[in-house]
Amino acid sequence: MFSTITSGTICGIRSCMVQVEVDVSQGLPCFQIVGLPGSEVREARERVKVALKNVGIALPPACINVNLSPADIPKSGTMFDLPVAVGIMAALSKLPQEAVKDTLLIGELGLSGELKAVRGVLPIVREAVRHGVKRCILPAENAWEGALVEGADSVGVASLQETIEALAGTDGFVKIRARRKDGCVRTEGSAADKNGAGQSAAEGVRTAAGNAQEDFADMSGQESLKRAAKVAAAGFHNLLIVGTPGSGKTMLARRMPTILPPLSAEEALEVASIYSISGLLRTADGLRYDRPFLSPHHTITGQALVGGGRIPTPGIVSLAHRGVLFLDEMPEFKRETLDILRQPLEDRQVQIARNSGTYVYPADFMLVGAMNPCPCGYYPDMGRCRCTPHEVRRYLRRVSGPILDRMDICVEAYPIAFKEITEHRTGENSTQIREQVMRARERQKARFADTGIRYNADMKAADVDKYCSLGGRERHFMEKMFASMQLSARGYHRVIKVARTIADLEGSERIGEEHLAEAICYRHMEVFQ
Amino acid sequence: MTEQDLHKAYMHWLIQASGMGGRGFVRTLLAVAAPEELYELAASGRLADKTGKNYEKKAKLLEESARGFDVAGEYERLRGRGIAFVSAGEEAYPRRLAAIPDAPCALYYVGKLPQDDRKSIALIGARNCTEYGRAMARQFAAELAAAGVQIVSGMARGVDGIGQQAALEAGGYSLGVLGCGVDICYPPENRQLYERLIEQGGICAEYPPGIEPRALLFPPRNRIISGMCDGVLVVEAKERSGTLITVDMALEQGREVYALPGRVTDALSAGCNRLIRQGAALIGSPQELLREMGVDGAAPARRQERVPEAGGVRGRVMRLLDYQPRPLEELCRQYGETYGTPLTISELCLELLQLCADGYATQVGGLYAQKG
Repeated sequence: MFSTITSGTICGIRSCMVQVEVDVSQGLPCFQIVGLPGSEVREARERVKVALKNVGIALPPACINVNLSPADIPKSGTMFDLPVAVGIMAALSKLPQEAVKDTLLIGELGLSGELKAVRGVLPIVREAVRHGVKRCILPAENAWEGALVEGADSVGVASLQETIEALAGTDGFVKIRARRKDGCVRTEGSAADKNGAGQSAAEGVRTAAGNAQEDFADMSGQESLKRAAKVAAAGFHNLLIVGTPGSGKTMLARRMPTILPPLSAEEALEVASIYSISGLLRTADGLRYDRPFLSPHHTITGQALVGGGRIPTPGIVSLAHRGVLFLDEMPEFKRETLDILRQPLEDRQVQIARNSGTYVYPADFMLVGAMNPCPCGYYPDMGRCRCTPHEVRRYLRRVSGPILDRMDICVEAYPIAFKEITEHRTGENSTQIREQVMRARERQKARFADTGIRYNADMKAADVDKYCSLGGRERHFMEKMFASMQLSARGYHRVIKVARTIADLEGSERIGEEHLAEAICYRHMEVFQ
Repeated sequence: MTEQDLHKAYMHWLIQASGMGGRGFVRTLLAVAAPEELYELAASGRLADKTGKNYEKKAKLLEESARGFDVAGEYERLRGRGIAFVSAGEEAYPRRLAAIPDAPCALYYVGKLPQDDRKSIALIGARNCTEYGRAMARQFAAELAAAGVQIVSGMARGVDGIGQQAALEAGGYSLGVLGCGVDICYPPENRQLYERLIEQGGICAEYPPGIEPRALLFPPRNRIISGMCDGVLVVEAKERSGTLITVDMALEQGREVYALPGRVTDALSAGCNRLIRQGAALIGSPQELLREMGVDGAAPARRQERVPEAGGVRGRVMRLLDYQPRPLEELCRQYGETYGTPLTISELCLELLQLCADGYATQVGGLYAQKG
């Protein structure tokens, strides 16, 4: 007898549907899996055999062939245990073929027949819903992930036995139906508490607002630093903070996600998918609407940064997708490692070629860098700096020009005065700043409707001319500055882009002189060099 | 070729053949024989026998270089490159320098050497100077040069170069004493100054052309800087600074030492303040220095009103600026406290940039200061 079960696998970042075809026929007893299975997929034979025995289904002495179609995509992961087991049962007529129609099955089996969590459930379910799947049978621990996707029932099961009951249509199973409202996932069904999955989905939701333990109000003083952060957030500009040790560079960077607008529903799913593939999606988090913040140590390798492995797993840049990638002590990073960032900064994605194919991972992040101005950290305070001009230059050159070129905003952090620490003058808090940022984003959205540009930072040279026209006075001002500040053509465009964002923040459609002036003040890294 | 030129030609051979470390050896040799005789001895291979065991290696080197050396031709070539040569004892050799112990036995120079009948001062200080040091070097050099004082320095980064530049701009004379051959511009970023010195002032060195700058060559060159002058003015120096080597040399040579005072909290003024405590003359203005040196200076030039549009916001911002570079934020806060009306960072940036573009202020990294 023959049966087909719908399942799925992960291929880089993409998920694809896999039909698990099982045939049981007369012949010499054997059990084989074909269709480019990886070693963990091949081992499914032993797990399935024992698990079936332990739920009371003995395999007949027959020739069992399993094909994973499409057969030319390499399969890895342990999610095929459940579909293979169910496929065998269907082929042995222990289950009606009808029962598995339009149903996605994923899960790893234990020898006792229990079902264990697997990676990548979210993207697979999203793909499955697109292919018309109506019901997803998932390990109980992963069920909430499936529930995030609208359009299919997500059923969490804890064992093979429960799977059989669920497929047979027995009542009493938790059906978690996705519904998003106010960033919450709600569960429906009579026995929501039965296996814990429903509970975790409901309880684990953490809305972005609830996440703000860190706040801009914590930072005393540093008004110009905060201002630069606000501008950077509003236009999604990359930000470089240069400053003496202990001046609050890291503190500021950690607070960047709190002023960025929360993720949209679509973006949140996108981010969760990447985390799901990496096995980093934690049940307790629910679907997160706050932006990811990644801060790799400077000893990180290139592979870890962009993704590596035979079948590459997403790297740090992809985990920072739609969020903030913070590189502390930038000159300490290996030059080659930093240079790897050039492609993702330009294309907003990472391409990795392996012999099994080319993998593309999204990497649309905001780069925030922090560095000291010189090895001792006090330049240009000549009274304290002990470095020679040569040392300073060599230190700054450790970050390659092309990377610095992409830092639209460069701001300096100075040690704050005692007065400022004790004054407790609380400036704007994160919520207030975020509101301003979101208003500026609205203006950008309206301006760039249907152009593929999302933020001011995305504008190319031609777009700058189109969207940022200057008045006569402003043009004259820029002419004067171009000469006296020795701006380059690229530097000029960068200034205009940042000025556009500042004007957006101020709620002005016109770019004024003061906006341009502030933008010029954010480019002194070139002055250093 | 005159007899004097021929003498110089032999001298040039002796200096360039004995290498950089051969100063003492050359002096010893010259004490017993003229360069012409030394050349004869070296060319015929008898020099090493005369000098004895201790100097055998160095003497052998001289012998080797004398073989096939075109004395007159090499000298002509040197002159052809515009490099002049003066040896001790000649009329053209600077008189002040001749009086110091350990005076160089010859100097290579381009442009002019300082005149003996005019006052000279060495204007020296830190390479990593502050905006204050920059401003003071500029102001002192300009006013001293305008009063006819010759400014001697080492053409280094920081105070040295800035002072010399200002002296030339004020139409005065300045001499750069190098720690390498006169045909090499070190530090390379002072190329413009180097070329202007050749035209309007002078460049000199005791090392033959082609000698690359090396750390060990600089301390000996400092004795020439102080030796050329009547006094030494220290603009900025840290507690332990290379500038103080020149001061030590000046004291050994019996020169006056003058120092500009600074705030006790400024590391770059610590050296100056200590010199004052040890007895150096405290100098408060170029006029004071001119009086100390016995030069009739012009009446103090009225300090230019450096505040544009004194009543407007720009004038107010300008008045907040100091030689000490300060961050935007501090200026912003101080503006609010001083004038009672707050200024946004954007507005402040606009004013500062205009001030920078008009040459009133300067940007150091992300800091702003009054331009000196």
